[in-house]
Amino acid sequence: MIRFDRVTKRFGRFTAVDDVSLEVGRGECLALWGANGAGKSTMIRCMLGLHRFKGVISVDGLDVRRQGRRARRLIGYVPQELGFSDDATVKQSIDFFAGLKGVAVPRLDECLGAVGLAGQGHKRLRELSGGMKQRLALCLALLGDPPVLVLDEVTASLDAAGREELVMLLSRLAHSGRTMLFASHRQEEVMRLATTVAVLERGRVDRRVAPAELFGPAAPANEEVVLRLMVDQPTSQRALQILRDRGHEAYLNGVGVLVAVASPRRAAPFEILAHADIPVKDFEFVEPASPCMTAARSAAAASNMRGER
Amino acid sequence: MSTICNTRGLGVTMARASACRPPSVASTFLRLTIADLRQALLARWFVLYTAAFVTLGLGISYVSAMAAGSTGLDGFGRTSAGLINLVILIVPLMALTAGASAIAPQRERGSLAYLLVQPVSRGEVLGARFVGLSLAMVASIALGFGLSGLILSLKGGAADPGSLVRLASLAVVLAMAMVAPGIAISVMTRRSSVASGIAVFVWLALVFGSDLGLMAAAGAMHLRAQELFYAGLASPLQVFKMWALCGTDATLDILGPAGLYATDTFGARLPWLFSGAMAAWIVLPLAAAWVIFTRRSQ
Amino acid sequence: MCGVSTVIATVVLFGVAAGSTAACDGHGESCGCEDPDVTLRCMIADASPGDTILVPPGAYHGPIVIDKPLTLIGVDRPTLRGGSGDILEINAANVTISGFLLAATGDSLERENCAVRVNAGSAVIEDNILYDVLFGIDLKNAAGSVIARNYIGGKDLDIARRGDGIRLYRSDAATIEGNVLEDGRDAILWYSTGVVVRENTSRRCRYGFHLMFSGDVTIEGNDLQENSVGVYIMYSKGLTIRENLLAKNRGPSGYGLGLKESDDYTISRNTMTANRVGVYVDGSPFTVEGPADFTGNLLACNDVGMTMLPSVKGNRVHGNSFIDNAEQVAVAGRGELIDNDFDVEKRGNYWSDYGGYDADGDGIGEAEFESRKLFENLTDHRPELRLFRYGPVHEAIEFVARAVPAVRPEPKFVDWYPMTTPPPSGAAVASLSARGPTVRTGLALTAVAALIAGLAFASSPIASSLRRAASGARRLAFRAGGES
Repeated sequence: MIRFDRVTKRFGRFTAVDDVSLEVGRGECLALWGANGAGKSTMIRCMLGLHRFKGVISVDGLDVRRQGRRARRLIGYVPQELGFSDDATVKQSIDFFAGLKGVAVPRLDECLGAVGLAGQGHKRLRELSGGMKQRLALCLALLGDPPVLVLDEVTASLDAAGREELVMLLSRLAHSGRTMLFASHRQEEVMRLATTVAVLERGRVDRRVAPAELFGPAAPANEEVVLRLMVDQPTSQRALQILRDRGHEAYLNGVGVLVAVASPRRAAPFEILAHADIPVKDFEFVEPASPCMTAARSAAAASNMRGER
Repeated sequence: MSTICNTRGLGVTMARASACRPPSVASTFLRLTIADLRQALLARWFVLYTAAFVTLGLGISYVSAMAAGSTGLDGFGRTSAGLINLVILIVPLMALTAGASAIAPQRERGSLAYLLVQPVSRGEVLGARFVGLSLAMVASIALGFGLSGLILSLKGGAADPGSLVRLASLAVVLAMAMVAPGIAISVMTRRSSVASGIAVFVWLALVFGSDLGLMAAAGAMHLRAQELFYAGLASPLQVFKMWALCGTDATLDILGPAGLYATDTFGARLPWLFSGAMAAWIVLPLAAAWVIFTRRSQ
Repeated sequence: MCGVSTVIATVVLFGVAAGSTAACDGHGESCGCEDPDVTLRCMIADASPGDTILVPPGAYHGPIVIDKPLTLIGVDRPTLRGGSGDILEINAANVTISGFLLAATGDSLERENCAVRVNAGSAVIEDNILYDVLFGIDLKNAAGSVIARNYIGGKDLDIARRGDGIRLYRSDAATIEGNVLEDGRDAILWYSTGVVVRENTSRRCRYGFHLMFSGDVTIEGNDLQENSVGVYIMYSKGLTIRENLLAKNRGPSGYGLGLKESDDYTISRNTMTANRVGVYVDGSPFTVEGPADFTGNLLACNDVGMTMLPSVKGNRVHGNSFIDNAEQVAVAGRGELIDNDFDVEKRGNYWSDYGGYDADGDGIGEAEFESRKLFENLTDHRPELRLFRYGPVHEAIEFVARAVPAVRPEPKFVDWYPMTTPPPSGAAVASLSARGPTVRTGLALTAVAALIAGLAFASSPIASSLRRAASGARRLAFRAGGES
């Protein structure tokens, strides 16, 4: 579906993409994985016709340079951040881009509802939060149901809750026969979305592997995962209390709230906290056997014992 | 025309691109133009400059109408001279600023890249910017001249509608000849602040620099009248002024020997000469902008 | 054919011109009446001095020579055609020519092909139509002649190859009245005195009227437009020039009125508008004898109202209106005009750019009017810099000159008693300033259309900024309410 054939892109002396050949099959979800500056975004921008480059990139057989307009009609693109923040409303932007793509203007509530923005059509773009904007970007990318979805670090500027929401939406899209190419440096996203990972190093594709191969096997269904949620200091006590009230195993740790959840339900703490109006600044996964978790558990056990006594 | 089908994965219906015809170039261009026009009209600079233009235009026409009222005479007098001066001062500044803000700020914000990723060509994007901004200028000029004309007609000024419409149309031509280099500036600079800085500099150079420089050169190098005239053709502001002055009887002798030379040499072909000069100021910067814009990475 | 026309000619002539009128009847054979040209010449030859010949309608060919005092009256405007040479030559005094159409002279400037050549005094040339003529009416030593109500249309030639519509040479006490001259070179007076030039019209000629070495000439009520120069007076004296309309004279010289080395003139109540230069004064008055007055004239909308050479002195310019001339008074070259008076007996002129006011209501401004503009000063000295007129630099230079007295030029002249309202001007102005209600309505409609167009464009941003302002106001009100 997507072919990179000996693609090279130089910025002055710096070679951002170095003779890369890569193929993404129909229905495949390929993650471009690598450090900052490894060439992930550059490859995507070449493919979208934003950069001039050496080599050939084609989408469904269409050369993105010579048939760029037709090639881009097949692509839905979600950028890291939706750049415009003007006075246009959500509805107006959907109408505008639907027009550019030549698709009939969709039923607003359905397409907004699909990305969790139902009822927000009248809002102006500058009134939207970062997460809402990214979901709008996804909505715009899906206009016309393009067979290819290209995502460039789409969660990078979102807070944890926004990130989780978006990834949940994307994971439903990823396994629906659509071809997907995305750049990310979050293991969590790659694990959940990718079927294949292309590991980039200094502008070259080092290897192509399955996500499990790169990060180890995905957590089994019932395995316990531990989240560390960063919340504001004043709200941390309340967050802890709410999580515990809802039956989660949660501990306060100097840097955040540690929550243990079963793997399939790992979004639940975010929802609970969002419901309670407690913003989650960031989160990370912690090994259940990590020292901080063990310490927290044993401390809790000790205090429990004291309490029972 | 389009079929509604299920967007895979999200379980909602959306129109599917592959099932309907791609939009025609004209409709895409129109869409982009309207969006650009809207954006220009919403911009703060537009509102401010238009307000200044309208206010000063009103002032000029009021004063000249009061003065002409006593004699009923106003040849190429206060009204036209004042309006020409006003146009020369404000319209280029407005148009250059508009042009300079056409590309660079959006590139900075990333919304330009997002637009270019859509199924549009860069030529369309650039052309639509030019047309949209020119239309915004038309709106501003129409407001300014409309109010001035209203004042003149109410106060019994001596300007006739034909000459006012003519002056306004020439102002639009001047605006286009300034939007184009503005866009070129915007395409060539990476940062929007630099772009607007250069635009203001170009404005200053055109409004004062070119005339003063020519005057100095005329003094120092003893330029002859015809050399002065040809040098003047290089400045779109000067061309606008001469075009506006040459009026219906196609004479420029009000501008002294240089104007006399122009009248004698070109006569009825003067408007063609002027339109050629203006066209060059529109086409050449746009061509340069197009070459750079379509070649360069965004 | 010829026989028929002869019969008609005979009948008409006989019927109308009985009495002392010469006719062809008695001399049929000797005149050879088969050809109208022969008939006409025969009539002239046979006529007695003082006779009136009624020339029947028809086409005749020049040259026709008249050498005795006769009156030739064209009946139903007969045509006299010249072809490649002249048409009519008058070699005797007291000849009257009236009611003819004189068409097409030759075009040789060398032979000065001419429609009516008059070589004797007291000729009357009136009510004729002359067209496609090189020279129209050429009077030489023809004192006391009258040229009245003729139309004289020149040839469609380059200005350098045209001849004069009217030329007087040493023809004193002539009257030139009510003629219309178009597309000729000049109407010119050489060495002629006591001539009256009244109510003539001139369009697209070189000089409307041109005086060379003439004296005691009155030029009044003429309408001279779109010529190179309206009236150009050279080396003449004793001139009364009044109530003429001199407009749109924009040729290479482009003066409404030019005065070169002339004396003793009164220029009053004329209207000079839209000329390149309203009045041009070069070396006049020449010997400073007699008056040199400009009074009651309206000089409006000219590129330059009045241009004087720097050496000029002794003119008295007062009671005139200088309105909206791009430059009101210019000095051609370096210098001032301080030896000319711009006010006489405590009355100056009206200047549309005068900024003073009249405190005591006597119609005279309390501050003097000075012409000391830096840009004008520059362009008087270097006229090619007029190219920058009406540009921002023009304004900037004047601004600097006002702000920095050091660079302010000496005044060209001072009007110590500027008038604050324009004096009444000649009747000609009415036609110029007639801006009917149609024009105003048109202007208003155009303006409204432009406004609607502009608003239609700008309506959405205006609405949105209003919305923004409203919501801002609501927020403010809410906050204020919350705080109190």
